[in-house]
Amino acid sequence: MIFNEIYSAYFNAVADILAKLTEGDTEGCDLSAIVSEHAFGESALTILPALKSGKWQLVHPDMTTHIAHRPSMPLTDIQKRWLKAISLDPRIALFDIYFEGLEDTEPLFTAEDYVIYDKYSDGDPFTDERYISHFRTILTALNQGHNLKLEILNRRGERVYIRCIPERLEYSEKDDKFRLVTSGCGFVRAVNLARIQKCKIYYGDDIIRSKGDERKCDTLRLKITDERNTLERCLMHFAHLEKNVERISEKEYILNMSYDMADTPEMVIRVLSFGPTVEVISPESFKELIKNKLKDQKRCGFF
Amino acid sequence: MAYSELIKNFENIRDYMREFYVYGFKSRNDYTEKSSRSYDDERRRMESWLGEHMSFVRTPEGKNVFISIDSRVTGHNPLYKALKAKSFTDKDITLHFILFDLLHSPEISLSLSEIVKNIDRRLSEFDEPMIFDESTVRKKLKEYTEQGLIVTEKDGRKILYRRSPSVMPMGISDALHFFSEAAPVGTVGSFLLDKQGEHRDNFGFKHHYITSALDSDVTAKLFMAMHKKAIVSVSNHSRFAPTPTIKRIIPLRIFMSVQNGRHHLLAYEAEYNSIKAFRIDYLSDIKIEETTPRFDELRAALDTIQTKMWGVTVRKGLSVDQNTERVEFTVRVEDDEEHIIRRLLREKRIGRIERLDKNNYRFTADVYDISEMIPWIRTFICRITSLDFSNKVLEKQFRSDIKEMYRIYGIEEAEI
Repeated sequence: MIFNEIYSAYFNAVADILAKLTEGDTEGCDLSAIVSEHAFGESALTILPALKSGKWQLVHPDMTTHIAHRPSMPLTDIQKRWLKAISLDPRIALFDIYFEGLEDTEPLFTAEDYVIYDKYSDGDPFTDERYISHFRTILTALNQGHNLKLEILNRRGERVYIRCIPERLEYSEKDDKFRLVTSGCGFVRAVNLARIQKCKIYYGDDIIRSKGDERKCDTLRLKITDERNTLERCLMHFAHLEKNVERISEKEYILNMSYDMADTPEMVIRVLSFGPTVEVISPESFKELIKNKLKDQKRCGFF
Repeated sequence: MAYSELIKNFENIRDYMREFYVYGFKSRNDYTEKSSRSYDDERRRMESWLGEHMSFVRTPEGKNVFISIDSRVTGHNPLYKALKAKSFTDKDITLHFILFDLLHSPEISLSLSEIVKNIDRRLSEFDEPMIFDESTVRKKLKEYTEQGLIVTEKDGRKILYRRSPSVMPMGISDALHFFSEAAPVGTVGSFLLDKQGEHRDNFGFKHHYITSALDSDVTAKLFMAMHKKAIVSVSNHSRFAPTPTIKRIIPLRIFMSVQNGRHHLLAYEAEYNSIKAFRIDYLSDIKIEETTPRFDELRAALDTIQTKMWGVTVRKGLSVDQNTERVEFTVRVEDDEEHIIRRLLREKRIGRIERLDKNNYRFTADVYDISEMIPWIRTFICRITSLDFSNKVLEKQFRSDIKEMYRIYGIEEAEI
């Protein structure tokens, strides 16, 4: 159903090659580049000979084609059903889209069919008009490469004014929140969208240029003792980070993973959640944070 | 058979990719269930599909190949690529592009004989033209009609074929970038995105688990079964079981975790008269069978049961009052620690929070399985001032775990 050749990278690459050829662009078009863009590392070794040799009878040896129109494919039922499903998601209000022709289409899923049971309950107000307006302004600035002027309410409830380069909108599924990742404005690297009070595109001449990713990462080294299925639970839990694992004995493993240092407090409690079967080896500063939590716990006099 | 980047069956690679991505510490010799050649071919395919995301380390046991991805940096789920590697025949691809070229607009409708004649005319220009008989073309048109790509209409005794009208909304690229990662079965969004022109990707994702991509087909079929209120038969193969078992179940709801990436199907199993959780990565070979009149009643039962679930565990039976355990713990919150109160409120999935006095808050809940809640309770280590589980075995375990942590990190009385 979903695993079908009509969605394949090869079909997409061939469609793009044929599109170029139908436009008469037989000289200047770099077929290998098209294949690389759409398909995989070794695809050019299959696709181009198959087209040129007439194995796939779509292109003549002189690189003309009998295909007369730019290749296109209508949507499959499952694509329509997925579109219908996202049209019912409250977050769709963030995007200015009018869905037409899906009135009689059954959604692939609705909110009744699934639950994200460990998502935090104070997610962003996706249907709030001011929030939507800010979201769309940011998206416009991102698409058009503009700077933004923001008025933000900080954690202490104070108003802060910044001008920044929007780098991307970052969504956390766990927090159910968007943050605007910025560069070029010093200490402010990310802004929670729900904290933005005013948001305007800056059209002035004093443009700040993008400085790219300003994240500072460190490597956390953990020892996992595989009791109570900790190995699987821990590797699944940290699967979203760049990592590698070494087996050091039948029951013990070392997990090295790179994490954003700005997320250290969150990482500390995530490591703590595994209890004694996950031990911090390094960095020492991270280990100290764990120790401090444990010392504070002991001071509570309860354990 | 000669090696190809493309594959006919997704199940083999589904397991390999999960192993390479989640675990990644196994050497070639550890993959004993399958042949060495199969391992080499699958590893080469993954290298071809995922390129820069593949890494390896040399260990005394050999070379360990693994997939390493920081999903906060990659933007789009690289594992979707595996679902775009389905093999096909020379005739499949040739016929596909000719058919949609002949039917290039929804206004054009052609009969089978007209289509075949047009194909023959086009291919006659080749030295050794492929031959497409009516039966082959009819079969492909039927397949495309079932997928919704082609619609048919009758003209007297003749059947005419035309392409389905386009319903792709304008200006949807940004939404596709977002929902292809943030909505269930996002693979479909990724397919749609492939057909969009060049467009800047404005989204990044934090805490983003990507392995569910490998379960897209299974998940989509389960959703379809739920919409039909149907029974399904599934093959269930846990990592810990030697062989798969076939189950007949009524799928009720999919439980997704955004803190470990696991997806479970909660389904009714008549054999045990109970609702149970099945890991979706263990399921395959989904067959949608007949509809059941019990679907609404069972889903309503799940709605009630859900109020006592922390994760995915349900105790036997359909009654919510049976088999719950009581959990209670108190945390100390200093005057400048408002964020801890916010944490308690937003992170608790069930139960209630009470303010006992100026600096102490108590959480209480009745839950099917306290063990699912323990990792969360541990995140409050440094401020837990009391704890009481009705399940005393688990309470004892919790306390001894804390003591073990003191020992591991060398927390002695003198240091405090």
